[in-house]
Amino acid sequence: MNARVLATYNIKGGVGKTSAAVNLAYLAARDGHPTLLWDLDPQGASTFLFRIRPRLKGGARELVALRSRVGELIKGTDHERLELLPADFSLRHLDLDLDAFKRPALRLAKVIEPMRAEYDFIFLDCAPSISLVSESVFEAADALLVPIIPAALSSRTFEQLEDLAGRSQDGLGGRDGAQVLAFFSMVEVGRPMHRNEMARLRGAHHLTMLGAGVPDSEDVERMGEERDPVGAFAPASPAAMAYEALWLDIQRRLRTTRR
Amino acid sequence: MTAEPIELIATQPATLDSIDRALDGGFTAQRLDAWESDHILLDTFDRLLRSEGWTLAHQYGRLALSDRRMIIPVASGPPSGSPSGPLFGRDLPAGDLRQRVADAIDVRALLPLGRLHIRTEAYRITDDLQKTVVRVNVLVPQLISRGGSATPLSTRLRIQEVRGYQDERDEVIAALSPALGLGDADQTLPDEAILACGERPEGFSTKVAVPLDAGDPTGIAVSRVMRALLEVIEANLPGTLADTDSEFLHDYRVSIRRTRAVQRQFKHVFDPEELKRARAEFKWLQQSTGDARDLDVYVLGFDAMRELLPEEIRPDLEPVLTVLGRRRMVAHSAMGRALRSERARETFEAWERILGVLDHGPDADRPYSRRPIGEYTSRRIRKVYRRMLDMGRAIDAESPPEEFHDLRKKGKELRYLLELFGQPLHDSSVVKPMIKTLKSLQDVLGHHQDREVQIAMLRSLADEVAVLPGGARALMAMGMLTCRLEEDAADTRGRFGKVFEEFAAKDQRRLVKDTFS
Repeated sequence: MNARVLATYNIKGGVGKTSAAVNLAYLAARDGHPTLLWDLDPQGASTFLFRIRPRLKGGARELVALRSRVGELIKGTDHERLELLPADFSLRHLDLDLDAFKRPALRLAKVIEPMRAEYDFIFLDCAPSISLVSESVFEAADALLVPIIPAALSSRTFEQLEDLAGRSQDGLGGRDGAQVLAFFSMVEVGRPMHRNEMARLRGAHHLTMLGAGVPDSEDVERMGEERDPVGAFAPASPAAMAYEALWLDIQRRLRTTRR
Repeated sequence: MTAEPIELIATQPATLDSIDRALDGGFTAQRLDAWESDHILLDTFDRLLRSEGWTLAHQYGRLALSDRRMIIPVASGPPSGSPSGPLFGRDLPAGDLRQRVADAIDVRALLPLGRLHIRTEAYRITDDLQKTVVRVNVLVPQLISRGGSATPLSTRLRIQEVRGYQDERDEVIAALSPALGLGDADQTLPDEAILACGERPEGFSTKVAVPLDAGDPTGIAVSRVMRALLEVIEANLPGTLADTDSEFLHDYRVSIRRTRAVQRQFKHVFDPEELKRARAEFKWLQQSTGDARDLDVYVLGFDAMRELLPEEIRPDLEPVLTVLGRRRMVAHSAMGRALRSERARETFEAWERILGVLDHGPDADRPYSRRPIGEYTSRRIRKVYRRMLDMGRAIDAESPPEEFHDLRKKGKELRYLLELFGQPLHDSSVVKPMIKTLKSLQDVLGHHQDREVQIAMLRSLADEVAVLPGGARALMAMGMLTCRLEEDAADTRGRFGKVFEEFAAKDQRRLVKDTFS
C-alpha cells in the first residue's frame, strides 16, 4: 500500500471541514480501504465524533519528533478499517513544534511517510488558519479537499487558497504540489444567492470545483449528538447521499500519477 | 497494526446477559450479529496442510484456507462442488489457493476429516463514552456425524482488540474470566474437532521415532520399534486398498521393508524357526505389492520421463500411458486380493505373537535378546557400513546394474538402522550428517535403478503398445526414449564414484568407528 494523503482544508472555520473528513474517511473504510484520519485541529472535533478521548501521550512535540512511535498513538474507531490519530490541546503549539526542525514545512510529510505503507487513504483534518501547519499540510497532502460555502466571500477565499497551494508547490519539496479539489458545503438550494454563486464558481473554476455538494442539513448537525458519521446512522439521508457522491467524485478526480 | 485475536475457551455459557453481568457496569456489551456456518475440514492423511500452519475447509460451496485456528484467512477459491471423495491438487480450481495447497500436498489426497457446524455471535464491548474498545465473537461449535447427530465442542471466545485499546482488552478479559470460566485454548478448533472424530490431529506419518535407552534389552527395544512399524502398516492398509492416493501404498511398503531390515539385522533376538517363517511371509507381502507400486511410480513419473524426448514426439507416447493404466489396474487388483487374504491376516497375527514373545517370552534360546540395545546396534551399524564399503569399492562404471542395486538395498538397511536405532541412541549431530551423506549416495543409486527399471518396463510394454492405434509411432518414441534413459543411466554411473568417495572417506570411516564403537 502507498496511501493517498487527502487534507480537508479551508482558511475559514465552520465550513464543514471536519464533517467532510469524518464522512469521507468513513466511506473509504467502508469500501474496503484501510484508512487513517489524523485530527490536526486542537479542538479535536473529529476525535470527539468518534468517541475517542482527546489525549496525545507526549503531546504534539513528541508526535512530530519521534515519528517512529506515531503508531502507538493511533486508535481504532467503531468502524472496521477506520483508525484515528487523535487530537489534543497540545496541537495549538504545533507551529512552534514544527519550527524546531531544519525544514519545518517538510516535517509533517516525514511523520506521515512510515504510515503510508499501512493505509490506502490518510485524511488530515486541519485547523482553519494560514500558518506553518497549513504550509506543512500542503507539502504532505496529495490533494486538498476544500469545502466552500457558496456565499459572497467564498470566491475570494478560494483564490487565496489556490495561491497558497501554488506557492507551496513552487517553493519547497520539489514536487508537483497538492491537487486542489473544492466542493460546495452547507448548501441551501432554496437560496438564490447560493445557486447563483455555485453556478458562477463552477464556471470559473471548472477544473477544481467538484460537481457534488453537501447540503446544509440537520443530519450533519446530528453527528454531534450521534457521534458517528452520517452514513452510519442515517445512510439514506440527503447528506449521506451527498457525501457518497462527493467520495465518488473525489476518487475519479484524484490524479492518476502518484508522488 | 492490530494484534491477532486472542482465543479462549469458555466453560460457562457466554450470552449477552452473562457477558453484561460479568462486565458489571465497567463496560457494556452489545450484540451486533449472529450467524450459523458449516465447514467440512480437509487435509491429507499425514496432515501436510496442518504442518504448514493451515486449515482448509469447504464452506458454502467454496474452499477456504486459513491459519491453523481458522481465524486469519489465507486464500479462498472460487465456487467448487462439495467434496464427495478425495481431492487432489489438480482437482482444485486454479488460483492462489490451488497454488499454495497443491505445492504443500504434492501427490497426496485431501480427505474430508469432519464436519463442523458453528453458531457465531458477535458482540462489541463499549466504554463509558460508548466507544467500542473490544470485539468479541462467541463460537458455539458442534461436530456433525455422517448420520447428522451433533456433538458439542468447547465454546470459544475470540477477543479482538481495537487498536490502541489494549488495556481495555485486558480489563475485559479479567472481568469475563471468572464468570465465564475462561481458560487458554490448548487446542485449535479443527484439532478439537478431529480428536472428537476419534482421529489424530497430527495425522499419521511413516516416521517412526521410538525413544530408546542404550541399556534397554535388545529384545524389548526391537519389539517396541517393530510395534511402531506395525502401527504404520495397519494405518496405511485401508488407504492402500482403496487406492486413495499413491502414498498409502508407498508408506505401507516402506514400513514392511523397514520391518524386514530389522528382522534381518536383529535375527538373534528371535526364535530362528519362527523368524524364518515370518521373513518369508513379509517377503511375500513386499512382492505382492511390488508391481502395483512400480506401476504407480511409472504413472507418476511419466510426464517427467516424457520430457526427455523432443516436444513434438512427446504426444506419440500416449498409447504407453494407456497400457500403463491398464496394467496398473490389474496390479492393484491382484495386490488387493493378496492384502485382503487369509494369508496376510495370519502373517500379522503370527507377527503379533512373535513380538509378544520378545516382550515376555522365555529367552534361553535367544541369547542376544537380553544384551543392551546400544551395543548391539553399534555393532550392526559398523558391520553394514563396512559391508557397503566392500561392495562399493568393487563397483566401477562398467559394473552390471545388479551390483548398483544390491549396494542400494544394503544402503537402505543402513539408513533404517540409523533412523530407527542410531538417532535415538547416538549423538544426532553425528547421525544426521551421516544419514545425509548416505542419502546423497542413495539418490544416485536410486536414480540409476529407476532408469534401469524404466528401460525394462518400456521393453515389457512393447508388444501391447504395438497393437494399439498409434502403436507404431509409440514404438519409435519408446526406442528413442530407451536410448535417452540408457544415456542417463550411464551418466549416473559416472557420478557414482564421487558420491561413494564421500561416503567412504577416511574421516567418515573414523566417525563411524568412533561413534559406533
